[in-house]
Amino acid sequence: MGADPVAAMTGERPIGVAIVDDHPVVVEGVRAWLATEPRLTVLATGDDPDEVLRAAPDADVVLLDLRLHGRMALDKLAELSTAGRRVVVYSEHTDPQTMLAALDAGAVAFLAKHEGREHCVATVLAAASDRPYVPPALAGAMVGDPRPDRPMLSDKEREALLLWFQSMSKASVARRMQISEHTVKQYVDRARIKYTRAGRPAATKAALLARAIEDGLVRPEEIGIYRSQAAHDRPTP
Amino acid sequence: MSADLGAPAHTAGAPEAPHTTSVPVPREPVSAEGLAAPAAVAQASDRGARIAAVAIALAWHVAIGLPAVWAARTEFAAPAVVLGAWALVAVAGAVAGVRLLRHSPLPPWPLAGLLLAVDAAVFAAVGERQLFTAANWVWGTLGWFFVLALWGRRVAGLIALLATHACIALVAVLWHGPDPVDVARYVMYVYGTFSLPVAVFVGSTVIVSLARERAAVSAAGHTMAAERDAAERGLRDRRDRLALVSSAAGRVLGELAAGHADPDDPEVQRRSVLAAARLRRLIAESDDVPDPLLHELRAAADLAERNGLPIDLVTIGAPPPLPVEIRRRLADPLTGTLADAEGWARLTVVSGPNEVVVSLVTPDREGPEATGPPPGEYDDGQVQHLYERDGNIRWAQTRWQR
Repeated sequence: MGADPVAAMTGERPIGVAIVDDHPVVVEGVRAWLATEPRLTVLATGDDPDEVLRAAPDADVVLLDLRLHGRMALDKLAELSTAGRRVVVYSEHTDPQTMLAALDAGAVAFLAKHEGREHCVATVLAAASDRPYVPPALAGAMVGDPRPDRPMLSDKEREALLLWFQSMSKASVARRMQISEHTVKQYVDRARIKYTRAGRPAATKAALLARAIEDGLVRPEEIGIYRSQAAHDRPTP
Repeated sequence: MSADLGAPAHTAGAPEAPHTTSVPVPREPVSAEGLAAPAAVAQASDRGARIAAVAIALAWHVAIGLPAVWAARTEFAAPAVVLGAWALVAVAGAVAGVRLLRHSPLPPWPLAGLLLAVDAAVFAAVGERQLFTAANWVWGTLGWFFVLALWGRRVAGLIALLATHACIALVAVLWHGPDPVDVARYVMYVYGTFSLPVAVFVGSTVIVSLARERAAVSAAGHTMAAERDAAERGLRDRRDRLALVSSAAGRVLGELAAGHADPDDPEVQRRSVLAAARLRRLIAESDDVPDPLLHELRAAADLAERNGLPIDLVTIGAPPPLPVEIRRRLADPLTGTLADAEGWARLTVVSGPNEVVVSLVTPDREGPEATGPPPGEYDDGQVQHLYERDGNIRWAQTRWQR
């Protein structure tokens, strides 16, 4: 990573983005979306993750098309996440299993290609500061997660995810739940943070969790609850 | 849920498989039962006959054959052969009996060959004096073991074996001197050894086939009754749907026909769209598909899209099987809102084993509600309906919870 995202957020340096996609027209479209946000700058693009990152070693965020040259790049995603790269996966494959698998592999966010400019820019900005961002399609995947070992979400978190997935408007969710928009965002983000425990460990997940504690999104003792499974393995004093 | 349902835009516009409207007729369960029942009945009847045949053969061999053989053991020409043959048949018969009861009979023709070899050996070893006494155990007993060996096969095989047995005996009788008295006895013995095993063998076959026939007749009766019930249910369902269709489209069609309604009136147009949407959903309702709720919603979305409304249909999870009444209450309120929608629509279905939530969001616009369902909210205990407009979106949601 190398760059300090907080410094980047304060405006000292724009956030560097690398785009990996094997469709030039999509690359151009995403580049045009990101160009509307002055804090973002596209450093490199291409269809090979290794080449793109050689060209832009300081990229803060990697936008990765999950399907490269006809195959799912989940292993590449895991490799980049383990190495501490903040990878935002964007794909036209929006079946819930694929989205959850991408989160498990360490993606900081999953964006459906049809979710558009607004969500794309918001997701990249959030990812650069290790903050969660849950676009509606991902909220749907989380709320419908059928896996037995899925994170335990509270009723409010579940409801906020469901309504956000349905309406795509946090203001409408807030009105429906009779809470503030800020609280809606908190419920959704808390649900996302709970997913950082799933799948393989990655540096990006730890960063997401650390930032969540820093932001007061979760309390450290709640993290303790998350880790209770592991705690059982430790000898009791 | 399948990836195609989750596909981003305008899924509903994809060409659907041709709809097959059908009356629900019971299929696999009834016919499978119809086939299985006669077989089961036949098997039960056959089992009783097998037990009887094994019991007769072994009891005869032990209770009648053994004492006579043992009493005359010193008077045989070759006692060891007669006694050894008895023991061999006892063992072979016991094994054959057990295997027959376990439905894995020994191979018939090797067993029959062994029995015929024993037959010949005993006739040769028994000696002239014991030829027609009970000590010559092969006379009476062997026929029953033939029955065990050839169980379930055609009676011709048994007759052939018994005929061979008779030939061996005839050779033995003639060998010891063709006495007319002996020949007469021989004929009597052969008759006796033929009649009973053949009677039991044929009788058991007849009983099993009769039982099978009777069970098949009874199963056919059940199948017919089930088909009649299904046809009646199908007819009733069709009448119910016809009543619903009439209430959905009848009035607006009637007004148009009578000239009371103006086709150029936007209000009339909206009512027609709504009626068409309801009709489309009702038609989809009777289709025989794995996910009826999704199929019905797709039908509604399909129609809306054909009317020029871009619509996203996103599904998460697979809905559990729901009664048609619940499906109607989940889908109908949204059908009304969809008929009223302009601009775009987002239809989502989130399903789990205990909950199904359907939501429709469309942009809000000025003006009163058209012909959709009353913009109220209700909760009838099974399905909850929420509807609201906030100036930004119109949001209808139905939720079923187990």
